[in-house]
Amino acid sequence: MASSKTGYKEKGFMCGLEIHQRLATSKKLFCSCTATLPNDSETNEITVKRYQKAVAGELGLVDRAAKFEEEKKREFIYKVNEGHACLVDLDEEPPHEMNAEALGIALSVASGMQMKVPGEIQPMRKQVVDGSNPSGFQRTTKIGMDGFIEVGKSRIAITSMFLEEESAGIETNSPGEIVYDTSRIGIPLIEIDTDPYITSPEEAKEVALKIGTILRLTGRVQRGIGSIRQDVNVSIKGGARVEIKGLQDLDSLDKYIENEVARQERLIAIKKELAGKGTDIGQPVDLTNMLKGTNARVIAKALGSGGVVFGFALKGFKGILGAEVNPDRRLGSEISDYAKMGGVNGIMHSDENLEGYGFSKGELDKVRKELKAGNNDAFVLISGKKSAAELAIKFAVDRAKAAVDVGVLPETRGAIGNEPFTTRFLRPLPGRSRMYPETDASPIRITGEMLGSAAANAPDMERTRARLIRELGSANLVDRLVLSPRFQLYNEVAAGAGQEKVFIANTLLQKFTELKRSGLSVDSISASRLAEVFNTYSSGKITKTGVEELLKSLSVADGSVATIVKEKGLERITGARLREIVEQAKGAHEKNKAAIITDVMSRHRLNVDGEELNSMLK
Amino acid sequence: MYGKEIEKELEARGINLWDSVRVTKGKEAYEGIVMPRTEAGDENVLVIKQNDGYNIGIEIKGAKIEKIAKAERAPEQRQQAKRPLQNLSKIALLYTGGTIGNKVDYKTGGVYALTKPDELLDEVPQLAGIANVDTKKISSVASEDMVSGNWAVMADEAAKALNGGSKGVVVTIGTDTMHYASAALSFMLEGLTGPVVLTGAQRSSDRGSSDGFLNLVCSAHLASKSDIAEVGICMHSTSSDDKCHFIRGTKVRKMHTSRRDAFRPVNSMAIAFVNSEGDITYNDRYRKTGSSGKVKANAKFDNAVALVKAYPGSDPGIIDYYCGKGYHGIIIEGTGLGHVPNLTEDKKKSWLPEITDAIDNGVVIGMTSQCLYGRVNSNVYRTLRMLGQAGVVYCEDMLPEVAYVKLGWLLGNYKPEKAKAMLNQNIAGEITERTLYDEFVD
Repeated sequence: MASSKTGYKEKGFMCGLEIHQRLATSKKLFCSCTATLPNDSETNEITVKRYQKAVAGELGLVDRAAKFEEEKKREFIYKVNEGHACLVDLDEEPPHEMNAEALGIALSVASGMQMKVPGEIQPMRKQVVDGSNPSGFQRTTKIGMDGFIEVGKSRIAITSMFLEEESAGIETNSPGEIVYDTSRIGIPLIEIDTDPYITSPEEAKEVALKIGTILRLTGRVQRGIGSIRQDVNVSIKGGARVEIKGLQDLDSLDKYIENEVARQERLIAIKKELAGKGTDIGQPVDLTNMLKGTNARVIAKALGSGGVVFGFALKGFKGILGAEVNPDRRLGSEISDYAKMGGVNGIMHSDENLEGYGFSKGELDKVRKELKAGNNDAFVLISGKKSAAELAIKFAVDRAKAAVDVGVLPETRGAIGNEPFTTRFLRPLPGRSRMYPETDASPIRITGEMLGSAAANAPDMERTRARLIRELGSANLVDRLVLSPRFQLYNEVAAGAGQEKVFIANTLLQKFTELKRSGLSVDSISASRLAEVFNTYSSGKITKTGVEELLKSLSVADGSVATIVKEKGLERITGARLREIVEQAKGAHEKNKAAIITDVMSRHRLNVDGEELNSMLK
Repeated sequence: MYGKEIEKELEARGINLWDSVRVTKGKEAYEGIVMPRTEAGDENVLVIKQNDGYNIGIEIKGAKIEKIAKAERAPEQRQQAKRPLQNLSKIALLYTGGTIGNKVDYKTGGVYALTKPDELLDEVPQLAGIANVDTKKISSVASEDMVSGNWAVMADEAAKALNGGSKGVVVTIGTDTMHYASAALSFMLEGLTGPVVLTGAQRSSDRGSSDGFLNLVCSAHLASKSDIAEVGICMHSTSSDDKCHFIRGTKVRKMHTSRRDAFRPVNSMAIAFVNSEGDITYNDRYRKTGSSGKVKANAKFDNAVALVKAYPGSDPGIIDYYCGKGYHGIIIEGTGLGHVPNLTEDKKKSWLPEITDAIDNGVVIGMTSQCLYGRVNSNVYRTLRMLGQAGVVYCEDMLPEVAYVKLGWLLGNYKPEKAKAMLNQNIAGEITERTLYDEFVD
C-alpha cells in the first residue's frame, strides 16, 4: 500500500540522508594495509573468534543499541586475509597515524560543499557492538559542518561530514554467530549528512544523486558495488525517526521512503485502533509440557532437540497481528523481527493459519485457555533453545507492548531485498552516548596550508564541465557523463587518451548500459584493462565493433587484452590487406559500391573499419 | 588541562567542564559541552562535544565563549553487582593498577585507573556467579612504574588473603611487567595453599572488545576451583576470546607489544587452560594444594641488582658503572649460549676483565641468554669456559627477567655466597632439568 506521492508536507514528513562513500586511497585510514578489496580468488586463512560487551560511553550511559546487541550474546567470527588485514584491523595493535591522503580528500569535499572545518579534528570511537569491527567501535572524525549543495533550485543543507573507517563485511549471519570478512575494515570512508528537511522521496533521490556526483568529481573515490551506500532517516508526524541502512541502489531509494511513510502511518493507525479496545499484553507462559507430542513440525523439531515453547496473549489484538503494514509485511512480521534477535527463527501467531503448521484444533484451544486468550484476543508462540526463546519472548513482548503504547519505535532498519522495497528491524536507533574519544590517535590541527590545498582540489562542477566541454565538444554528452556513476572511470580511462575521448565517453555511457542490460558485468572490468582496450583501438589494432566484442569477452574472461584480441580474431584488417580484399570484391561485384561494402562487411564485420573501407572505394 | 588563555577565559565566564557553551568566531558559531582537554592535542584549542556526540577542537584565538547551560551530567548507569551465592568459595581480588582497571583519561589523552576496585565487579557481573569476591585496591601503579616494594605488598596481601580463608587470589596488574611480578611472587610466597593468579588486559575495559573480561572470568574460575598451589599468569591463549592459559610465574614472558595472547610460556608448557564456563584442562605437572600451614611472604628484596644486555660493540664499562654504585648483583643477558664480547680486536670492548674484577669484589654475576628459549651452557666454547672459570653463574634455562628478580630476592634474604650458590638451583619452577621439544615457539 504505497502512499500517495503528494501531501508529504501535511504528513509532517521529515527526511535526511547519510551518504557513505569509500575513498580510493592507497592505504587504509589507520594502518598500512592496502585499501583495495581482495579478488574473489583470494581466500581467508585465519579465523579469530570474539565476544563483545556494551560498556559505558563518555557521558556514562550505556547506549541502548549497544546494550541490545550485547543481550543477543552473539559470537563473532573474523576471517582474515593477511594480504588485506593486519593486527590493527583485528584490534590487536593500536592505530597508526591517520592517513593524510584520506584526510586531504575529505577536506577537499568539505571545501566543495562550503563546510566549516574545526581548527582541530578529534578522532572518536563510535561504539558498534554488532561485531562489525573487532575493536567494538568505529573510528570516526568530524571533518566539516554546516555546508550546503544546490539541487535544482533548492539549497540543501549539509550538516556534517565525517572521515571514518569502513566496517567488516558480513559473510554469514545466523542467530548465534556472525562471520565477518576483515579485509574491508579500515578502508577510509566519508559520511555526508544532510539536514532532515528533504521534502519528498523524489527529492531525496535527487539529493543522493547530486552528492554522489560531487564525490565522483574528486576522482578519488572507490567505485563498484557497495562503494557508496545511502542511509535514509525518515519520520512523519506521530511517528518516529527510523534509519534505513545501507541502500546501495539509488533507483529504488524513493520507493523505500514511500514504504516507510506508509508503515509509520499504519502503525499509528493500529495504535489508535487498539487504544479503544482496552488491550493488554499477557505474561509469557511456558507451554513446553502442554505441546509435547504436537504434530506442528516447527514446535516438534524444537522440542525434539531439547528446546522449549513459550507463548503470550495479546488482549484485543485479534486481526491486528495479521494487518498489513507494508507490502507482504504485517505487525506480526515486526514482532517476529524482534524475536529473531533473541536467536530464534521467528514466531507463530493466531492471525496465521496455525492448523496449516500442523496444530490440532484441540491443541489450539488448550493454548488459548492456558494463555487466557479469548475470542477477541491474539497470541504469539515462540519455540527454540531455552536461552534463545527466553530472550526472544522478552523482545517480542516488549515490541507488542510498543504497538499499544508507542506506535512507531525509533529503529535502525535494513532493506529486505529488492521488490517490494520493504525493510526489517535491525536494532534500536543508537543514541548519542555511543561516542567517546579515540585516545590512541592524536587530534590533528587543521592548518591554513591544508585548507588551501583542499580548496584547490575541491570538486567544482562548473570547472569540471568547462574542461570536459573543451575535451568532448558536446555539452549534452558532458552533462550525462558527469551524472553517470562511470564518470570517474571515464577520467581514469581517458587520462592518457587522445582523439578517441568522445568514443570512450559514448562507450561508457551507451555501450556499457546496453551490455549491462544484456546481462554482462561490464562494470567489473578494471580501469587499467579498459585503458588498454582503448589504446589498442587508437593504435589501429582493432575496430570500434572490435571494441564492443572485446568488452563482451573481458566481462567474462580473464586473459590479457592482446590474447583475447588474438583468440577472438579481432585484429583489424587495414591498409594493403584491406585493399587486396577490396580488389577481389570489386572483381566479383563489377564495381557496385554497395554490393562490395556488403560483401566485405559480411565477411569481416569485426575487423574492418567502415570509414577506411569507404575511403578506398572513393 | 587547557592552556592559560582558555583557563582564564573559562574562569572569567564562570564556565566549568561539562557546561554547555556557544563559541562564536567571526561568522561561525559552534555549540557543545566543554570537554576535558587531552594532552595529546593543542592546549590553545577548546574541545567541545557537539549534540551528535562528536568532539571538535576550536582554536580559541579571536573567539567568544558564552555559557548556555550548566553542566547536566547524566548519572553513571551502574549495574549493581549481584549478591554472591552462599555456596561459592571466597577469593581475593587484589587491584594494583594497569590497563584492566582503566577508563578514558582526558588529562593525558590516555586512560585512567578506576577509583574503586568494585567497579571492576560492576563491569564483569559474571564474577559474582563464580566466587564470593573480596576486592581490595593495594596500589594504583602503572606496570612500567612498578618496583620491588609493590611486589612485596602484593606478596603480603596475597598471603594475608590465603591465610584469611580465601581459596585463591587474583591480582590484577599492568601487563608490561606482569612477568616480573609473577616471578617475584613465585619466590616471595612460601607454602601456598591455593593459586595466585595474575591477570590484566591488553585492551582497556572501556571498550567492548576488551580481553580483560575473559581474563578476569577465567582467573576467577582458576582461583576458586583449581587445586594449583602456584603463582602464575592467566591471560588469553590465542587471539580469540575462547580460552585462557595459566602459565607458571617463573616461565612466562610478554612476547608481543599489543596482542591479547602476548603472554607465552618459555621453556615450559602452560599449566592449564580454562574457559569462560570454568572448564579447566590441566596440561602439565604442577604443585597441588594440600599444605595446611600458613602461607609465608618473604618479601625482602635487594634493589642493588641490575640486568644488562651484551651485544656486538657493547661497552663492558656498564659492569664497572654498577660496581661503582655499590651494586651486589648483575644478571647479564648474553648472546647465544651465554656469550659476551671477549676476544675483541679492541681490547677495551672485552667484558672478561670487568666481569673478573666485579666477581673479585664480591658481586654476584649471573648469565642468561637473550635467545630466551633454550639453556645457557658454559662448556661449548673456550670463551664461555673462561667466563665460567671467572665465577659467572650460568643460569640454566632461566629467563633473564626471572634471574634478575631471583637474584634481587636472594640477596635480600641470604648472604652473597649463599645467594650465588642458590642462583642456578631451582626454587620456584624457574629452572627445569629437561627442556622438551614442544616447549619452543610454533
